[in-house]
Amino acid sequence: MKFLKKLIFSAFFISTFSLLGTSANAACKVHLGDFDWDSANVHTAIVSYILKNGYGCDVEVTKGSTTPIMAAHYDGQLDIITEVWRDNIVQIHEEAVAKGQIVELGVNTPSSTQGFYVDKATSDKYNLKTVEDMMKPEIAKLFADPEAPGKGRMTSCISGWTCYTINMVKHKVYGLDKFYTNFDPGSGGALDAAIAGAFKKGKPVFTYYWTPTGLMGKVDLVQLKEPAYDNACWTKMMVVVEDIKANGPDAYKDTCASAFVDMSLTKSATTKFANDPANKPIIDFVKKYSVPTAEVNKALGFYMTADGDLEATAKDFLQGSSAWTEWMPADVAAKVKASL
Amino acid sequence: MKKYKTYLKYFIYFVISVSVIIISYRSAKPRYKPEHYTDIFKDFSWLNDWPKWLDFPLMQPLNSGFDWLIVNYGMFFEGINNFLLGLYTSMRNSIVDLPWPLVIAIVITITYFASGRKTQTTVLVAFCTFFLGFLSPRYWDKCIMTTCIVVIGMLLCIVIGIPVGIAMARNKKVRNALLPILDLMQTIPSFCYLIPGILLFGLGAVPAIIAIFVYAVPPLIRLTDLGIRLVDKEVIEASEAFGASKKQTLWGVQIPLALPNIMQGINQCTMMSLAMVVIASMIGTRGIGDEVLLGLQQLNVGMATEAGIAIVLLAIIFDRITQSYGEKMQERTQPKKKINF
Repeated sequence: MKFLKKLIFSAFFISTFSLLGTSANAACKVHLGDFDWDSANVHTAIVSYILKNGYGCDVEVTKGSTTPIMAAHYDGQLDIITEVWRDNIVQIHEEAVAKGQIVELGVNTPSSTQGFYVDKATSDKYNLKTVEDMMKPEIAKLFADPEAPGKGRMTSCISGWTCYTINMVKHKVYGLDKFYTNFDPGSGGALDAAIAGAFKKGKPVFTYYWTPTGLMGKVDLVQLKEPAYDNACWTKMMVVVEDIKANGPDAYKDTCASAFVDMSLTKSATTKFANDPANKPIIDFVKKYSVPTAEVNKALGFYMTADGDLEATAKDFLQGSSAWTEWMPADVAAKVKASL
Repeated sequence: MKKYKTYLKYFIYFVISVSVIIISYRSAKPRYKPEHYTDIFKDFSWLNDWPKWLDFPLMQPLNSGFDWLIVNYGMFFEGINNFLLGLYTSMRNSIVDLPWPLVIAIVITITYFASGRKTQTTVLVAFCTFFLGFLSPRYWDKCIMTTCIVVIGMLLCIVIGIPVGIAMARNKKVRNALLPILDLMQTIPSFCYLIPGILLFGLGAVPAIIAIFVYAVPPLIRLTDLGIRLVDKEVIEASEAFGASKKQTLWGVQIPLALPNIMQGINQCTMMSLAMVVIASMIGTRGIGDEVLLGLQQLNVGMATEAGIAIVLLAIIFDRITQSYGEKMQERTQPKKKINF
């Protein structure tokens, strides 16, 4: 009996040491930060697959919502973020860059669309094509807000993100605020659930939303036309937006507003990680990593059918194209290819 | 004979687990399966890692069941939604419209009489109530919204929880059936029912009220059950000896004697409701919770803490009122024995 006990203990210790041994032998250790929306998950999965199989790194992924993950990133606990919605957190992000906590690694998805959307059925029935079309009492009634009688509800961005304040200013400039509430859904998951739930029940939807997203492939939303994007106008609006963020909604001043700029999603790494010469190949690879929106949407489509199997999604993406071989040296690309 | 029965029981368990494994194997995706099922018995490499074909397909039926619920019983949930929302909005609007000194005066009056005219408790509660608005004028209306949601959630808990607790105490079978459900309600992560709540009821106050019910009703049910079972057997026997019917025993003896425990349950229920209403701000429920959320979204620790303090004050107010009311009850039903030396 005693022998058996000893055997079990020693087996346990040997396995622990051998596990530690493998992690110490790995060429590098990378800690990635991931978010609670699907496009970030897919990017993180692809990058971690390449780092694991191509560079032989030990990859650890931590997933969470925007604020805690970005806070840990600025603090140096998470080395690389593969998808940053920079414009939504522009203030704190630029502050972290200025302080030298992180370095930006360029664009991840060249263009992403944000805007106001209406479900296709309602849009066709009432001929809703532009923001102007929405400003009728009888249209607002379709989207009635049960908590604010007499008004419609537009589910908006999450309060605390810049887009919430942008939407608020846009509502006032366009005059939408007389007909609709700018409703904060509280979290990304709640916004998705609200949209999906309305579609399941066949109810009209009026919401702020963005691409690339997996949900966009599942539901039929039509973007409403706004005044075309104009740089001068946008800059003027952003001054007011920043003022409101700092001093509260009373700081609103009359301004102009236009459609959202095509926003590029970016990547970033901690300065500590980027400056380590051993990590140079990894940083070079992440810098080159960039996937067009159409391909992201395709990967998201696969992710939806794969029951959330991220590794399968990453493999499918890597098998489907070969553009990624240019992001890394030939020998690394060969290793990744061999592992598929 | 008895032994044969237990063996039969084990046999049924065995058959069920084997058929479940067969079902999961058959419904697994082809790319996860070996080419022929006999391969499983030739090649044992699947014993290393959990094989992908050994995966009970629970997700798809749950999804389709949920869809079915939304499509077929949408009207039913709509009805619940409209009822609770009407209750909430009318309550909120009537309190928000009142001038704030009047609201504080009402809170003081309630506390004074609920606590059995205890000055100390009343002063503390009045101070906390004043401090809610004093912390930040923005908080006053939001605290009222939170209070309304908590009160409605609590009413729902009391209306359903206490009768269920009584039924549990009186019938062992009901208790055995309900205990696992209560365990489930207490341990399942709140987002598992918050997000489906949005699908059924839409964003806003109603999914929060439902979440409060799921999260806060178990302690009330458990404490009601416990309270009634703890009533002395002799007392019940005595009441039966006097010819009391079961109903009379329940209303005249068991419930009054269990009241301190039930009040403790209501107190716990309130505290848990308040905790849930803060989490519910993540599904678009307006209230003091969104101030915390906003502070955290902007990495503004001071703002989040300030709102957190407001929530603590709100909790103290609720706690002191229900607690002191419970103490008053206790004094009435179990007067302290005076010891004379």
